[in-house]
Amino acid sequence: VAGGKWETPRVRTLELDVPDWPGHVAGQHLDVRLTAEDGYQAERSYSVGSAPGELLAVTVERLEDGEVSPYLVDEAREGDAFEVRGPIGGYFVWEPDDPAPVLLVAGGSGVVPLMSMARARAREGSSTPMRLLFSSRTLEDVIYREELEALAGNGFEVVHTLTREQPPDWSGYGRRIDDDLLRDVAWPAADEPKVFVCGSTRFVDAGADGLVRLGYDPRWIRTERFGATG
Amino acid sequence: MEMRDLVLDGNAIGGLLHELFGTELTAAPCVCAGCGAREEMARLDVYVDCPGVVVRCRHCTNVMITIVQGRERSWVDLGGTRALEL
Repeated sequence: VAGGKWETPRVRTLELDVPDWPGHVAGQHLDVRLTAEDGYQAERSYSVGSAPGELLAVTVERLEDGEVSPYLVDEAREGDAFEVRGPIGGYFVWEPDDPAPVLLVAGGSGVVPLMSMARARAREGSSTPMRLLFSSRTLEDVIYREELEALAGNGFEVVHTLTREQPPDWSGYGRRIDDDLLRDVAWPAADEPKVFVCGSTRFVDAGADGLVRLGYDPRWIRTERFGATG
Repeated sequence: MEMRDLVLDGNAIGGLLHELFGTELTAAPCVCAGCGAREEMARLDVYVDCPGVVVRCRHCTNVMITIVQGRERSWVDLGGTRALEL
């Protein structure tokens, strides 16, 4: 562990210094394995949030009763060491030289691999149009909020929806993702966009099914479901 | 939590598959022996909260792969997979 940063009260980014890390592609994840003194092992997958070429970083949400995430979020200190396996994944990945417009749909911590894509786009100076639709519970729960504001512009757009509580002056959406909201935000089907949807199983299924109803070809839509155990 | 929340996808076992087969498999097309549907591993339904790992076809729910890990060995049943494209 080379450093840490709180993103929200429940979510922390850990920078990792991994000897011999071969580098990753935006969207990939890694597995963390913790071993207790009695030999008991627990293993979980976490998406890489950093762009390729940056210091490797994962962003982890604390799941209550979890075996791994409470340690990573609350306990892990600079200099701690644990086993990682990766980079993993060849399906849920995006390359900045792909010219097709990109729609990113994130539910909560599902934003992490999509943030790697947004950072990679900025880092490479790509002009590919990219739009992030980001669903969070409250404003306080919005992961990477300030950095997303800073990244916006030059063909990168962020649209927020807050499903549980909205500030009085809120100008974004204030409900769960539905077909009307997707119709407002998504690229027209004629643009044949690349789509990445990441979040809980129900979030991902709702988002992907809604986009298919808008006329999206299921082949354009890549999904990654996050588990409810941490 | 409802049953549906426990369904992950092939991305979740990318590390395990890499360890067992020595290569990246989440983008590998798999053909279901039950209905013939062809989907990338990442698009299959995966259950990890059972004894072992169960991979099911997202179209017909046929069990395509089961993986059980013991202390010194792993046991992989591919009976429900007609073909795996590498």
